[in-house]
Amino acid sequence: MSREDNKAAGETRLSPAETEPEIRLYGEDETGNGTGLRDLAGLVIAASLFGLALLIYSDAASYPVRRSYAQFGPEIFPFIIAAGIVVLACITAVTAWRGGFEARDKLNLAGLGWIVAAICAEILMLYSGTGFILASTVLFALAARAFGQTTHLLNFAIGATMSTLLFLLFRYALGLALPNGPLERAIDQLLR
Amino acid sequence: MDVFTFLIDGLGTAMQPMNLMFALVGVMLGTAVGVMPGIGPALTVALLLPVSLSFGATGSMIMFAGIYYGGMYGGAISSILLNTPGETASIMTALEGNRMARRGVGGKALGAAAFGSFFGGMVGTLGLALVAPFMVMVALSFGTAEYFALMVLSFMTVSAAFGGSMSRGLTALFIGLTIGLVGTDKLTGQVRLAFGVPEMSDNISIAIVAVGLFAIGETMYLASQHINHKTKAQAVSGSVWLNWEDIKRCIKPYMRGAGLGFLFGPLPTGGAEIPTFLSYTTEKKLAKGQARKDFDEGRGAIEGVAGPEAANNASAAGTLIPLLTLGLPTSATAAMMLAGFQQYGLQPGPLLFTNSADLVWGLVASLFIANLMLVVLNVPLIGIWVRLLTIPRPWLYAGILTFATLGIVGAQGSAFALILLLGFGLIGFVMRRFGYPLAPALVGAILGPLAEEQLRRGLMINRGDWSFLVTSNIALTIYAIAFLSVFGPRLWALGRRQLVARRQES
Repeated sequence: MSREDNKAAGETRLSPAETEPEIRLYGEDETGNGTGLRDLAGLVIAASLFGLALLIYSDAASYPVRRSYAQFGPEIFPFIIAAGIVVLACITAVTAWRGGFEARDKLNLAGLGWIVAAICAEILMLYSGTGFILASTVLFALAARAFGQTTHLLNFAIGATMSTLLFLLFRYALGLALPNGPLERAIDQLLR
Repeated sequence: MDVFTFLIDGLGTAMQPMNLMFALVGVMLGTAVGVMPGIGPALTVALLLPVSLSFGATGSMIMFAGIYYGGMYGGAISSILLNTPGETASIMTALEGNRMARRGVGGKALGAAAFGSFFGGMVGTLGLALVAPFMVMVALSFGTAEYFALMVLSFMTVSAAFGGSMSRGLTALFIGLTIGLVGTDKLTGQVRLAFGVPEMSDNISIAIVAVGLFAIGETMYLASQHINHKTKAQAVSGSVWLNWEDIKRCIKPYMRGAGLGFLFGPLPTGGAEIPTFLSYTTEKKLAKGQARKDFDEGRGAIEGVAGPEAANNASAAGTLIPLLTLGLPTSATAAMMLAGFQQYGLQPGPLLFTNSADLVWGLVASLFIANLMLVVLNVPLIGIWVRLLTIPRPWLYAGILTFATLGIVGAQGSAFALILLLGFGLIGFVMRRFGYPLAPALVGAILGPLAEEQLRRGLMINRGDWSFLVTSNIALTIYAIAFLSVFGPRLWALGRRQLVARRQES
């Protein structure tokens, strides 16, 4: 999957020399492309994994004790998983410390921010009852902006068209229940 | 009843107008997404998971399989014309295919790819129909210990095969297993990791996990890059029809590619990457005469397109063998299809063949039909697929995001699902950015609860004695396979490296 990174970037240039896919060994830099630099973000990941393990453990430790033929109850699997995550967190920490993570592209924080904002906007609008079409339109327009499309009016127009068509398709052809707002109720009345 | 009786029955299911339509929609969608770089078949199936709930089990599985096959072919189009493989399976196609396009015979490359896909798909599907019943017979004797071993096999191989880093594969797997924990325990009713949120004390729908990790995470990842998404496509040049000379050059690569693809598809090595690579190198090694010249002078050899394209479609069929008979996904798309089955309360495995024979054989039969549709429709329609490459990427990706959230909201009926979706999207984004494979997380979330059930059932029967796990020979064999498939390639590499080092010394 990680090799798909290139394809997703949309500008893979394959070298004509077909190199044999390098099979890596443990102990050395696992993916063979590490930066060799201490990786703070990698350490943060390791710390989050420790946190996750602790969370699972404390949750599982709180279950009431049951006695059964199995000798073990619903806590056994969480305990195993938590133990596994602790081991992996340690490996992650070592990898990050030794610089085993690949170099990453420069982060386009604005682009990411627009996407997160788009989804948050949709969540808020759906909770406040504006209905699916309006919320999706805003989502579409903000998401298009995230990819550098600054033609805002056009974005909104395309988003509105697409959301309305999707609403009609899903409501009337597939019978899915989408959140209603004033606009959706009006369409329902019109088509009835 | 033998295989052919089943197949004819299946054909009856597959020929129903609705199912024909699902197959058609599947191959069209699959080709369309295969063409567009950045969206693969796995993501497409993820997007359609929530929506497909209203299609019925048979219909949606037929559609998903169509997407899988179509995606393999669509990937070839962007590989050849853009030199950007739409998905990993067509990376090898790009090498010779794009060179052919640049010297003005791109049409031929596309034609060779289309017929190669058809041939590979047919051989693979036939193999699937013949091999699957034997696998089922073996698998029917499995008990809890064997099933647990199978799941361990699946966990190990999916973590080792996808992407390069074993530790990151395993980390992804354990994140998936954690997701699988959330909700009410089946055996005792204990609510786990829900933190008092009512929506989470039911289990988290696998569709939210799949769409969040794959679709939302992917969109975030693309948006977080500094990239100009505009690349110029080579125009389709020359006829897509092959002449007799071309066919003669293609026929052997087709057969070798199909064989390789079908052999490697069911192995837990991560889908089509390895067979397409092997097929390409085989063709390059065996090339003689004009083919030798085409390879060596960088003109683009048709054999280098034909072999890998036959291989990737044959491997798609091969992947379905372990998926249908054992419930083991060996590629990301197969994992998505497994999620699709689970959505309908179906558990792929030997029992699926006895309990839902009409579904299974309808699916297999519709694969033949989907294959036929692909070659009949796609050769004339290539112009339309190419035009898809001109949709401005911002709107394309924004559209995907809209569709993803719509499906989740529609299927779950609550806005809370979107909060979970955003959470999984962020997790998926971080995983992508740091090179963690996504497929193990999905497989962990799907198979984790099943593995836990088998383990605890076994413990209950054996009164808490863990040794039942390793007393069966079949289970031990499966553990050995798991060990070999994870460590084998690495041991082999180590051995070969030492050999090379020794040779250099002498």
